[in-house]
Amino acid sequence: MASITLDNVGKVYPGGTRAIGDVSLDIADGEFIVLVGPSGCGKSTLLRMVAGLESITEGEVRIGDRVVNEIEPADRDIAMVFQNYALYPHMSVRQNLEYGLKNRRTPKAEINRRVEEAAGILQLAPYLDRKPRALSGGQRQRVAMGRAIVREPAAFLFDEPLSNLDAKLRVAMRLEIKELQRRLSTTSLYVTHDQLEAMTLADRLVVLNMGKVEQIGTPLDVYRKPASAFVAGFIGSPAMNLVPARAVPRLPGSAHAGLLGFRPEDLVIEPDGPIAMKITAVEELGAQRLVHGEVGGEPMTVTMSPQAELSDMVHMSLPAQALHRFDEKSGRRLD
Amino acid sequence: MKRTIFSNQLLPWLLLAPQLAITFIFFLWPAAQAIRQSFLREDAFGINTSFVGLANFEALWNSSQYLNSLKVTAIFAVSVTVLSMGAALLLAIAVDRMMKSTRPYTTLLVWPYAVAPAVAGILWWFIFNPTIGVLPYVMDRFGYDWNHVSNPGQAMTLVVIASAWKQISYNFLFFVAGLQAIPASMREAAAIDGAGPVRRFFDITLPLLSPTTFFLLVVNIVYSMFETFAVIDATTEGGPAQATNIMVYKVYFDGFVGQNIGSSAAQSVVLMLIVIALTVIQFRYVEKRVEY
Repeated sequence: MASITLDNVGKVYPGGTRAIGDVSLDIADGEFIVLVGPSGCGKSTLLRMVAGLESITEGEVRIGDRVVNEIEPADRDIAMVFQNYALYPHMSVRQNLEYGLKNRRTPKAEINRRVEEAAGILQLAPYLDRKPRALSGGQRQRVAMGRAIVREPAAFLFDEPLSNLDAKLRVAMRLEIKELQRRLSTTSLYVTHDQLEAMTLADRLVVLNMGKVEQIGTPLDVYRKPASAFVAGFIGSPAMNLVPARAVPRLPGSAHAGLLGFRPEDLVIEPDGPIAMKITAVEELGAQRLVHGEVGGEPMTVTMSPQAELSDMVHMSLPAQALHRFDEKSGRRLD
Repeated sequence: MKRTIFSNQLLPWLLLAPQLAITFIFFLWPAAQAIRQSFLREDAFGINTSFVGLANFEALWNSSQYLNSLKVTAIFAVSVTVLSMGAALLLAIAVDRMMKSTRPYTTLLVWPYAVAPAVAGILWWFIFNPTIGVLPYVMDRFGYDWNHVSNPGQAMTLVVIASAWKQISYNFLFFVAGLQAIPASMREAAAIDGAGPVRRFFDITLPLLSPTTFFLLVVNIVYSMFETFAVIDATTEGGPAQATNIMVYKVYFDGFVGQNIGSSAAQSVVLMLIVIALTVIQFRYVEKRVEY
């Protein structure tokens, strides 16, 4: 158990390309932090820097109160779950779980105790003597988690661990991971590009874009008060509408010359509402209906109930508190 | 894949005919001839030929020279295989660790494979020539007397090096491909699991390479036993005192130089059985035993 601190951490590749710039983050002991962002935003690189698989060229990473910049991955007291699980295919499940402990010369009795315990927690007991290739995707995922658990490390690092699973299994495993982390209360750093996964798992979210932190906060804070237009568009599904104020002149916030943001579910259908949208496409999701269209030449989306009548045009209004305003140039939130 | 149905019964046979003819004329017929001759004995002038049953094989079994040749072949095959695979693996690991310019190195390292065995033999013969060679000159400076013409151990060393050198390229290519097929995350996971570079190599890399290794093992044994004829012929000609007279060279020497056709044929039948055995082992086990 330990806290993790990132102090102005940056990474510049030998060629001069900057992957990560100036990230500072305090992770409390037992906290579940999710790094989220589009592919190529540097979230995996940042995680690998904490793991010791990538060098840190700027700033300092501390695990507990130890600066780990120059410490080998093995000695950082962390365990990592990889996207492709990285199970050793020639070893049985038991051997996979034992490997990290054997390398650390853990006494045999202690190894057995921990393996049995992890196998119990993860329901792997019947599969201990199988090879990874004889397991299903979800079971392999569990073995990868088990390998992290038996080490009893100061922190878990997850690198998109669920992205190789099918949608249904992903939801189930997501819950398992969350439950497991609560139970063990081990500090966790989790990387994903899936904003839904990020929202459901995180104690706090770190939204990254092009190697920089856009916002750090609890999922609800980030959802309710996105710090930038990027975060506003990235977190939440369907994505927030972002339009220049001049496209919707009858809205209250349209006086300033920035970007206006509002979530599709916040728009209210109203026959004489100030926003008139020309419908271009409709997506039926069952419980609701996503209606796409354009207002003043700008694309816009609204969620409607599946019972509502549809014509070519839809008129809507927006409660003042549902409106977010962003600077058009920097994209930062204006309050 | 598209399946073509021939309405004409003759056409498929015509299309196969060239390959079938080559297989028959150059492989099946000589093999049959060898098997037939291994049961016959010719008199010294080639006038009378008589059926002698297994006498030729019995004679081989009782010949100290042939048993010596078996031993020499075993030592030679194991040495060539170990040397060429070991060196190739080291080079492949070095290239696999490189970040940049992997390609030029790989290309350069593959060149020796294009050299014909006889040329490779001559090349090493020059380098190691006791009179005019570079290496004996250097070794002489350090007080080591190199003369593979009279020293059996040195002669064996020479043919092993000359034979292995060429094969390193081939093995190297397979090892590089094998190493690159191992996901980086596997080694990273092992690193986090507390395994140092050496442990990682023996616990993770080597087992994951085992299909490649086993395939190369069989290929290299076959190579060293059968395709090294030219190397031997160009360097030591089996000498000194039978020290490098491997089985395939002895077949040639007894048959074409010594004109003992029956014995030579019997020897080639033995060789044929060894090839068949190796091939069976490869096909039976390469898929089954060496998996993970």
